[in-house]
Amino acid sequence: MYTKVNHLGVLTRAVRNVSRRKMRALLVIIALGFSMAIMISIPAGIVANQEATQGMTGNLASTISSMQEEVNETITLIEVSASSGQREFSSTPSGMPSNMSFGTPRSGFGQEEVFTNETVGDEIRTIEGVEDVVPFLEKSSNETTSETMSTPRGSFTISRSLYTITGVCLNSSFIENYSILPTNITAGVNLQEGDSGVLLMSSNLTDYYGVGVGYTVEIYGESFTIVGIYEPTSTEAREVYMNISDAQTVTGQVGNVSRFDVYAEDVSYVDDIAEVIKAAYSDLYVTTYEDRLATLDNMQEMYTQSLNNAESTIAQTQATATQEIIIAVAATSLIVLFVMLYTVRERTKEIGILKAIGFSNWNIMSQFMLEGILISIIAGVVGIAIGSIGAPILTSLLLPQVNLFSGSSGRFQLGFGSVNSGTTGSTTTTASLTPDLILLAFGAAILLGALGSLYPAWRASRTSPMEALRYE
Amino acid sequence: MSELVLETEKLDKVYKLGGRQVRALSDVNIQVKKGDFISIMGPSGSGKTTLLNMLGCLDKPTYGKVILDGVNITKVPEKGLFKIRKYKVGFVFQTFNLMPYLNAIENVELPMEGTKKSGDEKRKRARELLKLVGLSEREEHRQHRLSAGEQQRVAIARALANNPAIILADEPTGNLDSKTGHEIIRLLGKLNIDQGTTIVVVTHDSLIASRAGRMLFLNDGKLLAKEKQGTHLLKRELTCPNCGREIQLDDTFCPRCGKKL
Repeated sequence: MYTKVNHLGVLTRAVRNVSRRKMRALLVIIALGFSMAIMISIPAGIVANQEATQGMTGNLASTISSMQEEVNETITLIEVSASSGQREFSSTPSGMPSNMSFGTPRSGFGQEEVFTNETVGDEIRTIEGVEDVVPFLEKSSNETTSETMSTPRGSFTISRSLYTITGVCLNSSFIENYSILPTNITAGVNLQEGDSGVLLMSSNLTDYYGVGVGYTVEIYGESFTIVGIYEPTSTEAREVYMNISDAQTVTGQVGNVSRFDVYAEDVSYVDDIAEVIKAAYSDLYVTTYEDRLATLDNMQEMYTQSLNNAESTIAQTQATATQEIIIAVAATSLIVLFVMLYTVRERTKEIGILKAIGFSNWNIMSQFMLEGILISIIAGVVGIAIGSIGAPILTSLLLPQVNLFSGSSGRFQLGFGSVNSGTTGSTTTTASLTPDLILLAFGAAILLGALGSLYPAWRASRTSPMEALRYE
Repeated sequence: MSELVLETEKLDKVYKLGGRQVRALSDVNIQVKKGDFISIMGPSGSGKTTLLNMLGCLDKPTYGKVILDGVNITKVPEKGLFKIRKYKVGFVFQTFNLMPYLNAIENVELPMEGTKKSGDEKRKRARELLKLVGLSEREEHRQHRLSAGEQQRVAIARALANNPAIILADEPTGNLDSKTGHEIIRLLGKLNIDQGTTIVVVTHDSLIASRAGRMLFLNDGKLLAKEKQGTHLLKRELTCPNCGREIQLDDTFCPRCGKKL
């Protein structure tokens, strides 16, 4: 009968030797595992960090370029508003700190909503060089929602209106010539001249209510039918567009408007028109493309600053990471070194016996190196396990946080676990282990195991057999 | 005229101990022929172990030479000594020195690691050797499940693994009770007779020493001129000293006359 025999070899003996002192092996493997987890988590963190930073600066860059386009397109536009603040760019910059907002806070963070008489528009129309005056009525919904905001200083709950109603003058030439309505319709149709009792709703709001095209909703107690749904440029902007006369009626602002978009016949008239309006209506706020350009400049400055910040924080992070990796590598090899030195000392007699029965220096050396590498490989597996679960925590503990907007009181911190972008929604970036990193970890485990056990194994191999045999 | 397996010429060993020179061996000349069973006797500190270490390539003499199986091992460089230890010498220690994490048969296989033998051949050889020392039933047992005598038998089997030219035993019965000690020395005698194994035993026990074929005496590092004939003769060894009839190696009592052996 044939029985399978497990032949003795240097590997079998290494495995048995490692498992001889189970508690010690366990402790060493855990210590090494943590060390290795740190070693592999840090590069993962760096990658996540860079990706997130690039993502954010990239976001800013694209926002800026679309804003630039908008400024150029609206060069003849003079905004005349009853309330302070500037025209809101349709491309709301995402990833910006909320204290850098542009234009009127539409959903009214407790800001008073001011209106002016719509006849002012007719008067402005008569100013020389004015091509068109487009009135808008903007009013917060009477429905409110509670939101919990978390900031580095703690979280608090605020009550804000659920959405904004925008009344638009549905004149076909306005609709055709000026971008007064949202363009990215995802369902149904856009508003058109003569529409009444209907509205266009932003998709986040239809999602909130669970409604669609053809549904009837109540606004300030009046029924409206949804004719179209559009995708808002910002996830925060929950809006409803309707005919301005409908808006005036339901909100009780008959004859009132919030602002006018005044279009000049030519850019050369813009300054004069603005001057005339400012002189005639001291209570209105007038903004021209120059003001918007100034805002854009601010944005650009901030963008440059954030790029610089990103660069320096990345450099700082990498320096820290390099130091930490060096420490982890040193710690790993030192743990292996001391453990193996201790093992060699403890097993001096065994070395003597092995030598007496004919083991060469090389046999002894490879035996101990193999044991060191074996421990490291097991620790590498443990390290990968710890790393794949704990990489985000480890890296957030070990690496400095990226702060792109140093002026925004830390609200905009980019941790490794997540990117908290204030009120503009959050993106999550996770430091995750890639197969490359895992392979690298295995390589490092073998290399560091070999490195750490090199000296102890060499010492073992040089032990005099006669003296070793006397050792008790 | 049988060939010489081991020969020493003017062997000297000088240790330096705290600036003081200690002469552990002085002008030792020994000749061991193939098939010899020699005991070297002497009080502790007489240099027995030093001599044995030098014969087994564990230590180098200060002067003189050791010729083992035709090779002057004092001229072999450090790097090459392991081969001599592996193939030409088999060590048996006072404290058995088995690997605690290996079982009996694995301990016997251990010296064969790195030889050209296949795994199956090693296992076969180890099995034969364990049978030879009477431990066929104990193959899978580790050190802690073997008695002291059994451990020493495993150690002897291990020493024989690579079919060495000589077995060097350093106080092989030193950690054993006298009955087991005699069993072990009888086993060595049997190996000497049956297998023709050349054996050198170092001991301070005169009774054990007297069981060898030749007895040498070492005192203060010098080999005494007197040499005695031991009781190791084929007939005496395998016959009952009381009734003169044949006995087996493992017998404690004579199966014929019933007297204690």
